[in-house]
Amino acid sequence: MTFEQLLELPVYGVPQADKDRILTAELNELTAHHRAHCEPYARLLAQLAPGDADANAPWETPYLPVGLFKSHALASVPPEDVQLVMTSSGTTGQQVSRIFLDKETARRQTLALSRIMQQVLGPDRLPMLVIDARETLADRRNLSARGVGVLGMMNFGRQHLFALDAQMALKLDELKAFLAQHGDKPFLLFGFTFMVWKYLYEPIREMGLDLSQGVLIHSGGWKKLQEQAVGNAEFKAALRQACGLRRVHNFYGMVEQVGSVFLEGDDGHLHPPSFSDVIIRHPETWEVLGPGEKGLIQVVSALPRSYPGHSILTEDLGVVHAVDSPEVERMGKAFEVIGRLPRAELRGCSDTHAFGSAR
Amino acid sequence: MKVESLVPRSGEADLSAVLKQVGRASSPPPFSEAAVDFCAAFATRLGRDPQARRYPELTALAFWIRRAELERLRREFAALENDSLLRAPRGLVFHVPPGNVDTMFVYSWLLGLLCGNRNIIRLSRNRDEPVEILCRIAGEALAEADPLLQAGNAVVSYAHEAEINAALSAACDTRVVWGGDSTVALFRHFPLAPHGTEIVFPDRFSFAALRAEAVLALDEAALAQLAEQFYNDAYWFHQLGCSSPRLAVWVGTADACRAAGDRFFPAVAETVRRKHYELPAAARMRRFTFECESILDRPVAGRRDLGRELACLRLETLEDFSREHCGGGLFWEYFAEHLGEIETMLDRRDQTLTHFGFPADELRAAARAWNGRGLDRIVPVGRALQFDRYWDGMDLFAALTRCVAVQS
Repeated sequence: MTFEQLLELPVYGVPQADKDRILTAELNELTAHHRAHCEPYARLLAQLAPGDADANAPWETPYLPVGLFKSHALASVPPEDVQLVMTSSGTTGQQVSRIFLDKETARRQTLALSRIMQQVLGPDRLPMLVIDARETLADRRNLSARGVGVLGMMNFGRQHLFALDAQMALKLDELKAFLAQHGDKPFLLFGFTFMVWKYLYEPIREMGLDLSQGVLIHSGGWKKLQEQAVGNAEFKAALRQACGLRRVHNFYGMVEQVGSVFLEGDDGHLHPPSFSDVIIRHPETWEVLGPGEKGLIQVVSALPRSYPGHSILTEDLGVVHAVDSPEVERMGKAFEVIGRLPRAELRGCSDTHAFGSAR
Repeated sequence: MKVESLVPRSGEADLSAVLKQVGRASSPPPFSEAAVDFCAAFATRLGRDPQARRYPELTALAFWIRRAELERLRREFAALENDSLLRAPRGLVFHVPPGNVDTMFVYSWLLGLLCGNRNIIRLSRNRDEPVEILCRIAGEALAEADPLLQAGNAVVSYAHEAEINAALSAACDTRVVWGGDSTVALFRHFPLAPHGTEIVFPDRFSFAALRAEAVLALDEAALAQLAEQFYNDAYWFHQLGCSSPRLAVWVGTADACRAAGDRFFPAVAETVRRKHYELPAAARMRRFTFECESILDRPVAGRRDLGRELACLRLETLEDFSREHCGGGLFWEYFAEHLGEIETMLDRRDQTLTHFGFPADELRAAARAWNGRGLDRIVPVGRALQFDRYWDGMDLFAALTRCVAVQS
C-alpha cells in the first residue's frame, strides 16, 4: 500500500483485524527500510531480533526503548537530507530525544496529522487561538516538543492569535477582540494541557467569557495537573462551567512519533488512527496484554522513514478499554494513558544511585 | 548541632554531648568478653525476631555474628599478636556506611567494636525497615550489655550536614567511609586529626570465571545448585553490590564456552523465577535501554534474552572494557581460552572474582600473576557477598587496631 492509499483509509473506521494486517505489512516494510539505511538500527536488530524474518503481527515488530533516542542519534537518511531536528522537552540537564526529519517524513507527518484533525475540526481552517507565546517558535531549526506541537497545529487554523506573552501572561484585550470577531462561529484553541489550565482557565474562570463555539485540542500530559487533583473529567467540567467550552479533545503523542497522535473521542478515550496503533505490554514480563489490563505502552506507526521510530516501547502506562466497540463510532482500540512508570532506585554499594549513574 | 540518636536511645541529641560521652568512654581490649557477648546476644535476638526473619540479609548477618563464628574470629585475631607485639584499638572510629546496603553499617560497627574501638555510626535520614529493625535490636542488646559498651557506642542520623561531618572527622582516630567514589570524595573535604587514619571503600567491579567443561560436566542437580549460588551472588543487591558479578568469563574452547552458557544461564533464569526475584518495571526498562546503548557502543557479538529475569551480552573483546553497568540482571559474557587471558583487562577497581571449576593451584598462580593489577578476593561462586575481615585488599582487623611493640 502506498502512503497515499494508507491515508485514504477511514481514520477511525478500520476494524482491528484488518488494521493489524495492514499495519503488519507497513511495519515490516519499515523495518527492512531502516535496517538497510540506518547502520546502528541494523546492528540493534542483529542482536534484538536475529534473523530477518518478517513479523506476523504488529506486536511482533521489534521495538526500541524510547530512551535510546536520547543517547544516540538515529537517522535513516544522510545528514544533508535532514530538514529538521526535533527535540523532546526536558528539564535542564536532562538528555533530550533528537528526531531527524527529512522532507518526506515531515510531509507524511503533516498529512497524517491533518487527516486526524479533520475528524474533529471539519474540512475548513478555523480562526485559531494558540495558548502559548510566539517566542516558543523562535528557533525553527531546533524546535522544542512544544514548538513542534504548536507549529504542527497552526496548519489547521487561520488568523492565529498567540494568547500569551513571553512571560506567559494572558493578553486579555487581544483575546476579547478575537472573541468579538470570531466568537460566534466555530474556532480552534490549541495548547498544552497544563498551560491551558494555568494560563487560560485560571485567569478567566471568573470573567464569564463565552468560548462556547470553541474546539479545544490539548496535549502534554496530566502529571502537573494530577498534583492538583485535576484529571480529564475535572478539566472538562471546569472549562465548561467557566466559559461554556464543551468540545475538548485531549491527545497523546510524542516527539518520537509526531503525526500519528491518539486523539480523544466523544467517549473520553484515546483512539489510534488507521496508520498507527498502541500495544499494551505487561510492565514486567512485557507480554502482550488484552483489553482491561494495564501495562506499558508500545506505539507503532507507519509514518517514520527518516529515523527508525516506527516501533517504540515507551515508559508510559496505559490500558485498552475496548476494541471495535459498537458503542462509539470508532473502530480499533479505545485506550487511556494512566501515567508513567514509577521511577525505581536499585540499591547497591555505591551511594551514587545506580540508575543513571555512570560507572 | 543536633543529630537524631538511634542507638543507644532514640530521640534528638546534641552532637557535642554524644562526642563527649563516646569520646571519653574507655576502650575495652580487642575481643573482650563484653564485646563478644554483645555481638552474640545481637545475633540471637536477630535470629528470633519475627520482623527480622522476613529479611534474608538479616538472617545472613545473624549467622555471621553467631557465637561460634565470633570464637573463630577471636582466634584469628589472637594470631596477629605475639609476645612482643600487641594490638590495641585505634580509639574512636567514625563509620559512614553506604546509604543503600541496609546491613552494612552493622558489619562495619561490630568489626570496630570487636577490635575494642568506640564507635559513632552515621546513618542517613532515609532508612528502610531493615535498618529500623537493626537499630531497635541493637538498642535492646546494648541495654543489656556492659556499661562500657553502652557509653562507647552511638548510632546517629543526620542529613550530610557539613559541620557535623567535619566535627566527627576531626574527633575520630579512624574514619571508615563506604558508599563508593562519590562519598569518599565528599569526605576527603573534611580533615582528620593529624594521627587519624582512613579506611575507604570506593566503587568496585566484580565478575565470575567459570570453566566451561566443568559446567558441562555437571548433572542437573549440581547445575541447579551452582545456578542458585550464582543467583545469590548476583541478585541479592540487584547486581549492584560491589561484589556482585556483572561479567561471566567462560574459559575453554569457543564451542565449549557457548554450550556452557547455553546450559548455565537458563538454569540461572529458572532460579530467578523460582525465587520470585522482583525487578521493578522501570529497572527492566533501564536495563533494556542500557542493552541497546551497549549494542551500539561496545563490541557486542551476541545476546541472550531470557526475559525479565536475565539478559546477556557477549563481548568480542575485553579491551577498553567499560565497567559502567545498569544492574538488575544483565551479564556481560566473554569467551577466553585460558584464565590468564583476562590479565590485560584487570584494573584496580576489580574486587571479587568468583570462580567455578578451577584447581586451587591454578587460581593461586593466576592471583600471583595478576599481582598488583587488581582483584582483592578470589572466592568460589556463592560466596561473593560473604563479608570477611579481608575486604577490598585490606585486613580490617589490622586496619582497625594499632601495633604496640613491647620488648622486655
